[in-house]
Amino acid sequence: MVQVVRMTGEAERRLDTLQAMELAEGVEIRLRIAGPFPRGGALLLDLLIQAGLMLGFGFLVGLLNLAIPGMAIDGVSMIFWFGVSWWYPVFFEAGKWGATPGKKICGLRVVQKSGSPITWGQSVLRNFLRYADGMPYLFGGIAGVPTFGFALVSMMATRRFQRLGDLAAGTVVIYDRQPSGPMGGGLPVAEVRAPAVALRPEEVRALTAFKDRLATWSPGRQVEIADHVSELSGAKGAAGVSRLLAMAKWLQERN
Amino acid sequence: MKEADFEARREKAWQEFEQLVSGLEKRGPAPQGAQELPRKFRELCADLALASHRMYRSATIERLNTLVIRGYKLLYRQRREGWDRVVRFVGQDFPAIVRSEARLFWLSSLLFWVPFFAMLMIASRDLDWVRAILGPDQVIAMESMYGRESDSISAMRSEYGSNFAMFGYYIWNNIGIDFRIFAGGIVAGLGTVFYLVYNGLLIGGSAGYASYACDGSAFWTFVAGHSAPELIGMVVAGMAGMKLGVGVLRPGRMSRSRSLAAAAKGALPLIYGAGALTALAAVIEGFWSAQEFPAMVKYGFGAVMWAMHGVYFLRVGRGRA
Repeated sequence: MVQVVRMTGEAERRLDTLQAMELAEGVEIRLRIAGPFPRGGALLLDLLIQAGLMLGFGFLVGLLNLAIPGMAIDGVSMIFWFGVSWWYPVFFEAGKWGATPGKKICGLRVVQKSGSPITWGQSVLRNFLRYADGMPYLFGGIAGVPTFGFALVSMMATRRFQRLGDLAAGTVVIYDRQPSGPMGGGLPVAEVRAPAVALRPEEVRALTAFKDRLATWSPGRQVEIADHVSELSGAKGAAGVSRLLAMAKWLQERN
Repeated sequence: MKEADFEARREKAWQEFEQLVSGLEKRGPAPQGAQELPRKFRELCADLALASHRMYRSATIERLNTLVIRGYKLLYRQRREGWDRVVRFVGQDFPAIVRSEARLFWLSSLLFWVPFFAMLMIASRDLDWVRAILGPDQVIAMESMYGRESDSISAMRSEYGSNFAMFGYYIWNNIGIDFRIFAGGIVAGLGTVFYLVYNGLLIGGSAGYASYACDGSAFWTFVAGHSAPELIGMVVAGMAGMKLGVGVLRPGRMSRSRSLAAAAKGALPLIYGAGALTALAAVIEGFWSAQEFPAMVKYGFGAVMWAMHGVYFLRVGRGRA
C-alpha cells in the first residue's frame, strides 16, 4: 500500500486554521481564522487609538475651557469617554469595515460563523462581553488591569478561537484577505505520467500542492519531501521529484 | 475540460467580477453593472465549486475563494434599521419582553432588594456595621453630601461642577455598571449575582447611613426622582446577566454553546432597555434631583415616576406582541 501522507478529514480540520463554510449558493468557502496573537496585537492598537482619541479630545476640551470657563465641559468628556470605551468597537465592527481600526490595520475582520457580516446586535454582545473576557483583573479587583485570561482559555478551548463574547454572539475573527503566499504557477514540466495506483482526493490535492510549491523549496528539501512517497514514484532522489511532477501534471491535464 | 482551458475560458469573467467588487467596495456611487452582481456572484460560486471539486491548482482555488468572500460580504450586508424599530421597541416590545421573563425579574429583584433592606434595618440598630461595609471613603463622601452641618448637595455640585458635568458622570459610570452587570452573567451568572448583591449592600448601606447618621431628608429628596428608572434599570441589566448565566448553566437539549448564543440573543433587548432606563435616570439625576424644590414636590415626582414605571411594565404593549 502506498504510504502517502494520509490525514482523515477530522485531523485535517484540527490542524488547520482554515474553516470551510457552506454558503446558501451551495458552495464552500474557506475562511482563515485568526488566533490569539494577531488579535492581541489588534487589541493593543485599539487601546492606543482609544487613548489617542481621549488625549486629543482632552486637548480640545482644555482649549475650550480657556474660552468658556465652567464645568459643563467635564460632562462632555465623560460622555465622550463612555462612547469611546463602550461604543467605539461596536460602531466599527457593525459598520462597513466589519473591524475596529486596530483589526483593520492587522488585516482582521469579524464575521458571523456563517461568514456573513455581523449585525449590530452581535457587535453589541461580543464587545460588551469583552469585560468578562478581561477577567481576572489584577490590582484593584473589578476595576483593575484586565489580563484577558478568560478570553485566552476560551480561545484555546474552542476550535474557532472564539472568546466568550464570540461564543455568545456567534462570531469569529478571520483574516480579511487571504495571505498571498509565494505560490506561483509552479515549474514547467515536460514529462507526463499516470500514477500507478488510483489516488484518493487528499492525495491528489497533496500532489498538486507539491507541484505548485516546488519553486519555493531548495533542491535538498524537494528531494527530502519526495522521498517520503518514493513508493508511489518508484524512485529516490531527483528522479523521484521529477516523477511526482509528471504525475501532478497528468492529474491536472486529464479530462 | 482541462484545467488550463477552464482558466482561459473563465479568466475574463473573474477579472470583470473583481473590478465590479472593487468598485462597489469603494465609497461613492455604484459603478456600472452593479445590478449584475448577484448573477456574476452565482457564476463565480459555480466556478469555485467546480475548481475545488476537480482539485485544481490551489492558487486558482485561493483566488476564487477570496473573490467569493468579497462578493458575499457585499451581497449579505445588513441594512441598518430605522427609527420605527426604536419606537416599537420602547412602546411595545421592551415591556412585553420584561413581562415574559418574569422569573428572572423576581430573581434579580430579590438579589438587589434583600441586601438593600437588610442594610437599611441594620443601620437602624448598629451604624458600625454599616460603616464597616461602606468603608471610610464612602462614609466621608456621605457626610460631605448629606451631613447635618454640610450644605448638602451643593457641596457635591461645587466639587463636580455644573449639572451637565454630573449628567455626564452618571452616563459614564451608571450605564457602564449596567453593562458590567450583564457581562458578568457569562461566568455562570456569578458576576451578575455579585454585582447585584454588592450594589444592594452599598446602596442600602448608604441609604441607611444617610437616614440615621446624616440628614435623611437631604438624601431621600435627592434620590426620590431618579430612583425608579435607576434601580429598575439595574434590575433589568441583572435580568440580562442572569439570562446569560441560565443559558450557560441549563442548556437543556441544546449544546452549551448554542444555548449560550440563544440566551445572549434574548438578553440583547434587556441590555438596550437597561441602558435606556439608566440614561433616563442620569437625565433626572443631573438636571432635576439637585434642584432646590420643596420636599413634597420631589417626593411627589418620585412617586409619579414609580407609578409610571409600574404601569409601563405591567400594561404597555399587552396583546399586541
